[in-house]
Amino acid sequence: MNRLLANPFIRIALGFIAPLLLFGWWQWQTSTHVTTFAPPSAIGKAFAEMIGDGTLASGIQATLRRAFTGLAVGAPLGIAIGMATAVWRPLDRVLSPLLNALRQVPMIGWLPLMGLWFGVGEGTELIVVSMAAFFPSMLNSHAGVAQVERRYLDVGRIYGFTTPQRFRLILLPAAMPMILTGLTQALAFSWIATIGTEILMGADAGLGVTMQLAQTQQRLDMMLVVLAATAALGFAINQAFLRLRRFLLRWQPSAL
Amino acid sequence: MSVDPLSRPETKAQPLQKGALTISDLNKSFVIGKKPRLVLENIELTVQPGEFVSIVGASGCGKSTLLRLIVGLDDEYSGEIRLDGERISTTSLDRGIIFQDHRLFPWMTLEQNIELALLNTDTPKARRAQIVADHIALVNLKGFEKAFPHQLSGGMAQRAAIARALVTEPKLLLLDEPLGALDALTRVHVQNELQRIWMAQRSTMVMVTHDVEEALYLGDRVIIMSPNPGRIRRIVEVDLPHPRDRRSPLLHRLKDEILAELTTGAAIGNAPSNLIHLHGREER
Repeated sequence: MNRLLANPFIRIALGFIAPLLLFGWWQWQTSTHVTTFAPPSAIGKAFAEMIGDGTLASGIQATLRRAFTGLAVGAPLGIAIGMATAVWRPLDRVLSPLLNALRQVPMIGWLPLMGLWFGVGEGTELIVVSMAAFFPSMLNSHAGVAQVERRYLDVGRIYGFTTPQRFRLILLPAAMPMILTGLTQALAFSWIATIGTEILMGADAGLGVTMQLAQTQQRLDMMLVVLAATAALGFAINQAFLRLRRFLLRWQPSAL
Repeated sequence: MSVDPLSRPETKAQPLQKGALTISDLNKSFVIGKKPRLVLENIELTVQPGEFVSIVGASGCGKSTLLRLIVGLDDEYSGEIRLDGERISTTSLDRGIIFQDHRLFPWMTLEQNIELALLNTDTPKARRAQIVADHIALVNLKGFEKAFPHQLSGGMAQRAAIARALVTEPKLLLLDEPLGALDALTRVHVQNELQRIWMAQRSTMVMVTHDVEEALYLGDRVIIMSPNPGRIRRIVEVDLPHPRDRRSPLLHRLKDEILAELTTGAAIGNAPSNLIHLHGREER
């Protein structure tokens, strides 16, 4: 079996088994429950339609822009604050209780308040997506730096490292596996938060907006196209990120 | 090379010597469970420039603590530790250390790990690559420059750590059970390399080990410490030229004596009697 898995084609082909089974079951279901299931054949038509009028492209573009803008704001801030609180105890004492309490509120829970403060719109959505990216980045970066082994810091002292050297050559690389774990979570959370806020608050365009629209128009086929697009995009982004992670952590034994 | 601590020369009398270590009236305690516990008591030791001193003793006798103090990772002690007359209070590039675990940074290649030691020296940047390459060759690791530590065997990683410690040419090199984690064959091999390197560089070296044979093979003197609290119990002179022959009858006789000394257990208390000199002369 392991020898089979060594073949990249077989490895990829195995990943298609479950989706194809799902697809078959679905086709079978649509022949008996016509109203709640759209047949896969109808999806193809809807897909062509949504490509044609540009709904899909503009939706994907708007959602990606929102998710990555939020990530670009929230994640660096989270990494910076997480590392700073791990290095500097007083800051930790001041900030961590508040932040740890705030993170108990689910992202969706912020929407009513944020809507009241900033109005329903792009700004509010970006704040919520940024927050979704911020917390996992902060927590994991903090843990990563806090877990740096003293024996490595001793080496830095012996060779007279300055504070910037200690940060760049010890703390940052030693914490990197955890920082990247945080980023993986931030990526997933900001993706969820983006689509969630799009559904709940609406916007000019976006995959969530299209889903909402499809629901009001009872377009089951459209809804399924958007779902499939969301799943595929999220999967592709995650895969790309895993590659980046493997490259950045190439110094680790590849036993896992 | 016999040094009587009671009549040791004043530090001012040896201004030109490089790597002279003087420890006097050193006491160190840790607070364990709110109670201070003495781990080193009245340590008196003078190490000549270029001398190789081994320290052996049961675990818990404060050997490693002593090295941490000398290297400057811990500065809470009473008494004096001086290198070439200067009191030690923090780390310095004059003093290097090799730990039992290699402590290479896993995120750097072997080459980068060695080069980082030169980061804060005044070695010209242009020469650094060459110096690093020379030291990699010195410890027989040519061809592994780009390897990450997890790709090296234990012995190779330890030799890389030795190269990293030597690259700054410290006046004093401390070795904290550097070969303890190696298998017997690799250990003998690295011991030979250490001896070769020491003979070539002649920097002062102080090595802690639990291997009496290793202590005798490498050391000009072997310091025997006793635990609770850690004290110097005996100093054994090993009057044999380097490089040494492992089969030397003198080494074997001294080994038996030291092992007997270590296994007699209870330390005999008072300060003067814990400095008995066993003079080893080779019978011809």
